Amino acid sequence: MAKKRQIKLGATITGAGTSHNTWKRPEIKGNESVDFEYYKNKALQAEAGKFDFVFIVDSPYITANSAPHFLNRLEPLTVLSAIGSVTEKIGLVGTVTTSYTEPYNVARQFASLDHLSGGRAGWNVVTTGLEGAAANYGRSEHYEHSVRYRRAAEHVAVVKGLWDSWEDDALVRNKETGQFFDETKLHELNFKGEFFSVKGPLNISRSRQGHPVLFQAGGSDSGRDLAARSADAIFARSSSLEEAKAFYRDVKQRAERYGRRGDQILIFPGISPIVADTEEEAIARHEEHAGKLTIEEALVELSRPFSYYDFSKHDLDAPFPDLGDLGSNAYRTAAERIKRTARENNLTLRETALLFARPKNHFVGTPEQIADRLQLWFEEEAADGFIIYSEVSEWFTEFVNKVVPILQKRGLFRTEYESDTFRGNLGLEFPENIHTKRRKALAEKEGAKV
Amino acid sequence: MGSAKPIKLGAWIHGVGAGWEDWRHPDALTDASTNVHFYKKQAQIAEAAKFDFVFIADSMYIDKNSSPHYLNRFEPLTILSAIAAVTKHVGLVATATVTYSEPFNLARQLASLDHISKGRAGWNVVTSWLSGTAENFSRREHLNHDTRYRLAQEFLDVVKGLWDSYEDDAFIVDKANGRFLDPSKLHELNHKGEFLSVKGPLNIARSPQGHPVIFQAGASENGRNFAARNAEAIFVHYSSLEENRAYYSDVKRRAVQFGRSEDEIFILPGISPIVGRTQEEAEAKYRQKLSLVSVEKAVVALSRPFDHYDFTKHNLDDPFPDLGELGYHSHRSSAEKIKEMARKENLTLREVALRHATPRGDFVGTAEEVADRIQEAVEKRAADGFIVGESLPGELENFTKQVVPILRERGLFREEYEHDTFRGNLGLKKPVNRYTAQLTV
Repeated sequence: MAKKRQIKLGATITGAGTSHNTWKRPEIKGNESVDFEYYKNKALQAEAGKFDFVFIVDSPYITANSAPHFLNRLEPLTVLSAIGSVTEKIGLVGTVTTSYTEPYNVARQFASLDHLSGGRAGWNVVTTGLEGAAANYGRSEHYEHSVRYRRAAEHVAVVKGLWDSWEDDALVRNKETGQFFDETKLHELNFKGEFFSVKGPLNISRSRQGHPVLFQAGGSDSGRDLAARSADAIFARSSSLEEAKAFYRDVKQRAERYGRRGDQILIFPGISPIVADTEEEAIARHEEHAGKLTIEEALVELSRPFSYYDFSKHDLDAPFPDLGDLGSNAYRTAAERIKRTARENNLTLRETALLFARPKNHFVGTPEQIADRLQLWFEEEAADGFIIYSEVSEWFTEFVNKVVPILQKRGLFRTEYESDTFRGNLGLEFPENIHTKRRKALAEKEGAKV
Repeated sequence: MGSAKPIKLGAWIHGVGAGWEDWRHPDALTDASTNVHFYKKQAQIAEAAKFDFVFIADSMYIDKNSSPHYLNRFEPLTILSAIAAVTKHVGLVATATVTYSEPFNLARQLASLDHISKGRAGWNVVTSWLSGTAENFSRREHLNHDTRYRLAQEFLDVVKGLWDSYEDDAFIVDKANGRFLDPSKLHELNHKGEFLSVKGPLNIARSPQGHPVIFQAGASENGRNFAARNAEAIFVHYSSLEENRAYYSDVKRRAVQFGRSEDEIFILPGISPIVGRTQEEAEAKYRQKLSLVSVEKAVVALSRPFDHYDFTKHNLDDPFPDLGELGYHSHRSSAEKIKEMARKENLTLREVALRHATPRGDFVGTAEEVADRIQEAVEKRAADGFIVGESLPGELENFTKQVVPILRERGLFREEYEHDTFRGNLGLKKPVNRYTAQLTV
């Protein structure tokens, strides 16, 4: 009997804030992004709320105009390892780029996190939208968009191949016979591709959940394709129910075209819910928060998907400037959406900046209203779950204390963790080791011959 | 006269152990190398005994002949971050290579560990001596010895430069005027060198201790110079009082030549003590450890410092074979030492293999005897302290319960931690930010 489909929830942890207004709130001290206690407390709070995972965003390039959290923050794998040490059930998803890392190191660090947490690691695969990052890694130019995605596909293939170096029953550890491991179950990878040549084996075995859970977060065609082929979950950015449904349908269909089952890839729109006792109050909180952003700061935030292009040289009240191709090699989807929206609605630069800085938020209201909306998106197949991107502690607390119980009462969200592993709680299949699979297939063929 | 300075002590956490057979001991946890509870417990034992730090070694190449611990183990920065969350005072030293990582990424992860632990991180700088490692990183050839050290110097300079990206008072957090950062206190590095080109700035500021503490472990000529120039603590093999005295005075002399003070560099030999209530009990424990090793496996272990040379084609009871230059490009010093020992003592292949597989060391005996050895080494300038490895299951705890109290009684080791940071407890100064220093001048 199939278990009833339930909403999955993740929570980002972004300290002093990824926008320019969060830090101005009275309760923010300013050093939250490098204070482990802050991360730990939010993770424990999310775990008490039975969230499936915490999610750490990341990128490797800043300017003096970057938002506080980007300027000075803990690195994903180290902070998740520390969080893993003081939590028991919650998944630990970290963002790491394929553009500026070695697959052997990535495979190793995620496998290590997976072991030390008892099977709760997750990797959010990104290719780095900020073109300035290239200079931090000895390159004069960032990789061109399609090259980035080709490299990412290879990088992920190498990492997954390395994770399977050890078959699950290879480590015999028999003190009497003296056999530590079965040599026939340790495998070199011998990968030779366009970007990487990696021999292996990896010097760490698989954890209880087999592989870390793979997230992907690119909205472009290449991004959706990479996700459909190799990801377990997607962090989606959708501004409306219709857009979310279209995205959901598209990715699931692509996955099926690649021979995968649609229910083995989970779509997670990111949302920033604001809860209050009345709808008016919730809206007022949203306006007040948005109002703290100056137009200069809004321009900086607008510039990020365009590699921090300097908009200040343009007239604020003139139409949004023609930027040509700019942004197509950075955060392509976001850049294209901004250009299109400005063009279709005849917006000025000022209007575009403010719109982008305070996008329409569909999740502002009373606990019941928010629960209704979450249920709607879930049942209309716009989402399999949500990543709660909440930068105000108070609002996150309200969500956990007031909205989650409603979802639980409606049978839409768990009251207890079902599994010890992240994969288990997401309801994803255990990935069989490819060598074991091959060996079994061969044995069956041999058996069939007899 | 005896050293007035307190001895430094570190605990080397090494999973199932350094040998090929240590895991077979009746009390050994066979999955120790990926067992988070084991690692946390060892760290907590070290912290309870007021050790200065725990230390994690590393390498990134294996084949079927690698030792059990090497085959399957935690990665250092992740496991140390996990340990950071459950400790408060003990230093956390991670081994990380300069040869196969990006300086920006490594600078970041070390700084992150430093923040998470509120100023307790350390970095053991290595250059990856196993030649097979190159093939895991899309490179055909391993860099030769001299090149590796030039790279190491440049890499370390870049990392330290990145760590200084923010001056310590860069964050104003002025809400009224909307100024979070003073941009004049954020600095790009703009490094362009022989091997590396890194713009910066780093997206993380300095921790309470300024920079992670720098460790290094080279015994070769290049290694000693590198250590003398850059290291704050040096990990060396303990071979004998005389050899270690020679090493100690040589490296300290070089450090002074490079303009440093002897007091800002600590030489810490690695030892694996075995302590018994009587000498006989200690010896019995050592024999038990020896009895775990088979000579066949010892011969395989011997191949590691010789680029995985296949010794099995030689007769075990013949003299140790002449290998010419083999081992020169990798782990130069270890291979040379083995060849020299074989030559000097006329050893057979069997004898060399067993000695290499399970060295006894000088720290086997009663607690008093071991404490005496430690004190002697420090007083005779062979060491400033030691990194203690666990020779047998339970021996680290045994050492902390039996030997450390004696060192305390003799006024040689701390009763309580003196400071909040690793540097503070080591008695090292917090490095001034290079950009702030420039202004002061």
